[in-house]
Amino acid sequence: MKKKKWFLLFVIACLILTACTEYRVLERISLVTLIGYDVEDGDVTATSVVRQINPEFESSIEIHSETAETSKGTRVKTDLQSAKKLMAGQLRVTLFGDDLAKEGIEEAIHTLAMNSEITTSIYLAVVDGKSKTLLEGQYPNIADVGQHIFNLIDHNINQQQMISSTLHEVVRDIYASFRDFALPKVKKSGEYIDISGIALFKDGKMVGSLPASDSFYVLLIRENINDGTLQLVLPGELAESSKNPPNYQPEELPIAIDAIKTKRDLKIINENEIDLSISLDCRLLEIHSSLAISDKKITEKIEKEINKKIESEIERIIKYSQEVNSDIFGFGEHFYAFTRNSKLTEEKWREIYPNLKVNVKIDTEIIRSGVFE
Amino acid sequence: MKKTLSISESELINAPLLFFIINACQIGVGIHGFQRLIYQDAKQDAWISVIISFIFAHFIVFIMIKTLEMFPSNDLYGIHQEVFGKFIGNFFNLIYIFYSSFAFLVVLKNYIEVINVWIFPNLSATFLGASLLMIVIYAFNGGFRVLVGICFFSFICTLWVPSILFIPMEYSEISQLLPLFDNHLKDIIKGAYAMTFTIIGFEIINIVYPYVKEKNKVQRYVHLGLFATLLLYLSIMLISLTYFSGPQLEKTIWATLNLFSIIKFPFIERVEIITICLWMIIILPNLCLFAWSTHRGVIRMVNISSKKFIWIFSTVMLIFILFIKSRSQINHINNIFSHFGFVVVFVYPLFIYLMALIRNSFLKRKRTN
Amino acid sequence: MFKKIQQKILPNEEKPEYNPPKIPVPPLKNDFINELKKIIHSPADLVIRFVTNNITIAFIDGLIETQSLDDNILARFEDTSDETPSTLRERISIPEVNVFDEMIQCIDEMLIGAVLIHINGHPQVVLAKIPSYEKRSLEAPENESQVIGTQVGFNESLNTNITLIRRFITNPNLCNEHFTLGKETRTSVSVLYIHGIVDEKHVNTVRQRIKDLDIVDLIDSAILAELIDDSSSSIFPQTLLTERPDRFCDGLLTGKVGIIVNGSSMGIICPFSFLEFFQSREDQNLRWPIASFIRLLRFAAIIVSIFFTPIYVASLTFHYEVIPQPMLVPLSESRAIVPFPPIIEALFLELVIELLREAGARLPTKVGQTIGIVGGIVIGTAAVQAGITSNILIIIVALGALASFTTPNYMMGNVIRIIRFPIIVLAGFWGYYGIMLAFCFLLIHLLKQSSLGAPYLAPFYPPRLKDWPDSIVRLPLPFISRHSVNSRSRKEIEKSKKKKNTKKQRQNSNLTPENKEKVIE
Repeated sequence: MKKKKWFLLFVIACLILTACTEYRVLERISLVTLIGYDVEDGDVTATSVVRQINPEFESSIEIHSETAETSKGTRVKTDLQSAKKLMAGQLRVTLFGDDLAKEGIEEAIHTLAMNSEITTSIYLAVVDGKSKTLLEGQYPNIADVGQHIFNLIDHNINQQQMISSTLHEVVRDIYASFRDFALPKVKKSGEYIDISGIALFKDGKMVGSLPASDSFYVLLIRENINDGTLQLVLPGELAESSKNPPNYQPEELPIAIDAIKTKRDLKIINENEIDLSISLDCRLLEIHSSLAISDKKITEKIEKEINKKIESEIERIIKYSQEVNSDIFGFGEHFYAFTRNSKLTEEKWREIYPNLKVNVKIDTEIIRSGVFE
Repeated sequence: MKKTLSISESELINAPLLFFIINACQIGVGIHGFQRLIYQDAKQDAWISVIISFIFAHFIVFIMIKTLEMFPSNDLYGIHQEVFGKFIGNFFNLIYIFYSSFAFLVVLKNYIEVINVWIFPNLSATFLGASLLMIVIYAFNGGFRVLVGICFFSFICTLWVPSILFIPMEYSEISQLLPLFDNHLKDIIKGAYAMTFTIIGFEIINIVYPYVKEKNKVQRYVHLGLFATLLLYLSIMLISLTYFSGPQLEKTIWATLNLFSIIKFPFIERVEIITICLWMIIILPNLCLFAWSTHRGVIRMVNISSKKFIWIFSTVMLIFILFIKSRSQINHINNIFSHFGFVVVFVYPLFIYLMALIRNSFLKRKRTN
Repeated sequence: MFKKIQQKILPNEEKPEYNPPKIPVPPLKNDFINELKKIIHSPADLVIRFVTNNITIAFIDGLIETQSLDDNILARFEDTSDETPSTLRERISIPEVNVFDEMIQCIDEMLIGAVLIHINGHPQVVLAKIPSYEKRSLEAPENESQVIGTQVGFNESLNTNITLIRRFITNPNLCNEHFTLGKETRTSVSVLYIHGIVDEKHVNTVRQRIKDLDIVDLIDSAILAELIDDSSSSIFPQTLLTERPDRFCDGLLTGKVGIIVNGSSMGIICPFSFLEFFQSREDQNLRWPIASFIRLLRFAAIIVSIFFTPIYVASLTFHYEVIPQPMLVPLSESRAIVPFPPIIEALFLELVIELLREAGARLPTKVGQTIGIVGGIVIGTAAVQAGITSNILIIIVALGALASFTTPNYMMGNVIRIIRFPIIVLAGFWGYYGIMLAFCFLLIHLLKQSSLGAPYLAPFYPPRLKDWPDSIVRLPLPFISRHSVNSRSRKEIEKSKKKKNTKKQRQNSNLTPENKEKVIE
């Protein structure tokens, strides 16, 4: 019995001795919170925002930039620069420079998806220009560029002002046969960083972009949303129909609405035609004071004008996406899902999509309009 | 050595516990990445394959219990010996022993692989294997009731896990399930066949049966346990199919873990790291009961104390683990195991049922004569 | 699981009984006195008095009631020379008077409060028992205090304690079996149970285990509890030690066996399950939603207490990925100047807390409080400022310590605190994997335990749905079956089965309701 116990102790001791694993003590590693990739003469330049934890400076942000043939190669080089081991487990955002995006980011995304250290919930975005210049820029009001960009993208996505671009969704769309993806675009503008638009991709290559103000429409076409604010300019004639028309005739009437609930509905007419009807329940946020919004007739008129306006905007956006042949709305997938034995292939869809006829129909309903008329 | 089992009153278990045994034995390492295997064949109809495989499993379990009912206080090993005689019976016993220990090895190695890939890339497989085997040995020495207790608590401790799997549904696209039935039935059946690796485990009833107090309730609880597993697998399958796009799913090795990966709580992120560690308590019943099943077979041929057996068994398993290193080897072994498992679990019971029927009618005729 | 108990229950070979040499009582006065002095080594408190020429009395000062000695014994003597022990016995008017003719036996009795009366010329001694010892008055229990409910605790006297119990349970079925344990101390032990409620199996087990004990001394019931435990090597207590008579009676009424040891203010209740250690008597006194909330709180506290520090250590050592972004900066900044890895830091702080607790328990109450404040504030603040620990860890460790004190049972509270240390070490080596290893080990260990052969994790495993309403929650009283299935007697179970059957029969054949069987409460 005693022998057995000693044997057990021996085994346990051996185990403990042989099983020392790599320590990753929080304050003894450098956390990469953001990586920007650029392409330079065929080589990859990686710019990483690294959170350093030092007792003297409490915590500081370092920005490293290295060029190598593979993205892991850049990591090794950056490691050589840094006093502590670099770990990517807290990575939140990956940026791609303009040039790289145009060349194709499929491989970079594949590398990201392969790494078990990185979660699939990180955000991807494209930089207008080089990500290196964006990250190395001086921002007096921003303490931590990495966290700032993450928060910037995160809150806009949560408020449905911007299309969601988590690694998971991008990977899903990149490998899906009938779907292209779009990423938010960020830009350095002076001392600030903006979301400047949406980059449209086709087969992993950036083919075009839309301004940020169009993102609401893109979202509206892509999915059902329940948040997001839209500013519209309606024609000025509307003001005439109000009870006590204003003294002057405004040329245009800007209004702002806030989506409460939208429902997107797709209906296939035939191989080359599809009906897109969107019902939009919204809240009126801003309107000229002279309009009596409690009047049903006026409200209906406003709704009609909104419909018209949104329809034309959406048509414009769809047209643009057809021009660059990037099906970011997932029409192709709808075709595939709702036709039996469609034998639809990726190439075939690429041919069909630019000539697809989309009939847009918007049905707006103003549900609420604040507490003061 | 001995033909019928003598089981003391204190070792018997109540029939409702079978529910937990079946459930705990089925859910193991397969659940981490079964979606991909099935999707390869059945595409978006993979969930139908899941259902079909379970229908088949229910049928097989029914047959299994029918066979066992003919020999009320004997397990499969004893039935072999009774039906085929000692020599051929022992041969079949050997096969089943091999199957059980193979299953043990596969579960252990796959779990170690997951830990190595996701959490500790540098932690040696020897340590992981040895530490898990230590726990198995400790549990094994507690006797059968302790093993069943582990099954029970494995179920209770992981009840919350499926509920958080609904969080990724935020990203799911229902249209990815469509068009329904767009694949050939052949492909769907193929998908069901690919389920083998994930679905097996319920064959433990072959060994547990004599330990159940209320034999008439066995059918009910075993089927209930199977059904619970079906619900779990089906919901995970549906969530995965809508969450991942098809080709993405084909490339995702551990789709279930990827599902966890996107979940964020205000106090914790990267839930998959926690669930992988928690998975230890899910695979523990697998390991324990497969080891126990091997033990039941071995003691019919060799006179060996359970303590000695488990130490020898664990050492052998540990040595095998050292030999399997790369992912491709693991995949290869999983492949072999799933084919072998299909034969042992899904085909063989039909054969033994027929044999038992023939034997019984033969005996009856003899008696009337 | 049951192997061990079976072994214990099986009749073993006769063990050597306590058999002192027999010395007859010398008939002559002087011989008797000499003999007496020789045997008990003439202690200073031995009193020998000559009442008449013939009669000598001897007793130990302080062990007897002097008033009673005067009134009931000395006043009854008549100066007649033909006094014999048997006539004297009849004359003395106290309940317990015996005649013995053997010295050792006499002295044994004298040592627990008897007066020896020797009549010259007779080889017998009359023993009159008038015991009186100084004892503590009944006070509120200190270690198991509760807000609502009776405020009386056991004291060190066996008789008083049994009286207390009889006051709670006025029932002829309350059985009391007496044992004497310990070769040197010869301590009285009482085994109490309620006939008809208790499972005879448990009583037999207790009886057998007490009889099989071969011990030299027995000072406290805690020692007895450890000796009769199923597995005394386990860190978990398997029998309840309580100083509350109401909790004790509650145990008896739910079909458990109680043991009281003379000289100890703690009663033993067994079999006891793991879950019951976290229940308090007070839960029965509170309304069910409140009681349930408090119970859930307690169970949450155990989890916090055992796993919080290890999770902190594991997360900071290995799994930095799981820390959400908002927590990352404060956590890492608080750790930035700490020179040790988290495991050392955590072990150090846990040890400090344990030291404080131990010091507080050993010191007199007034000083103890001061130590708590000094330790908590001074050491805590100083440690953070010196950069030895991070302030977040101090919060976590303090929370863990606080949580462990919510366990109503002191023994179990200790266990909860101690098992943290190995888990912290495992977490420091292998992160969450280590914690999970510890958890599995703990679970299996608990599954292996039993209390008098009853499963330790009942009612969860084996699942006994009937007992669930009174487990981690407390549902309203009608839902709770009074006798937990765990310790219910066979009779009781058969009765309830019969009841069910008769109900069915009644439904079938519409019989007249027979006399209902009442469950003894």
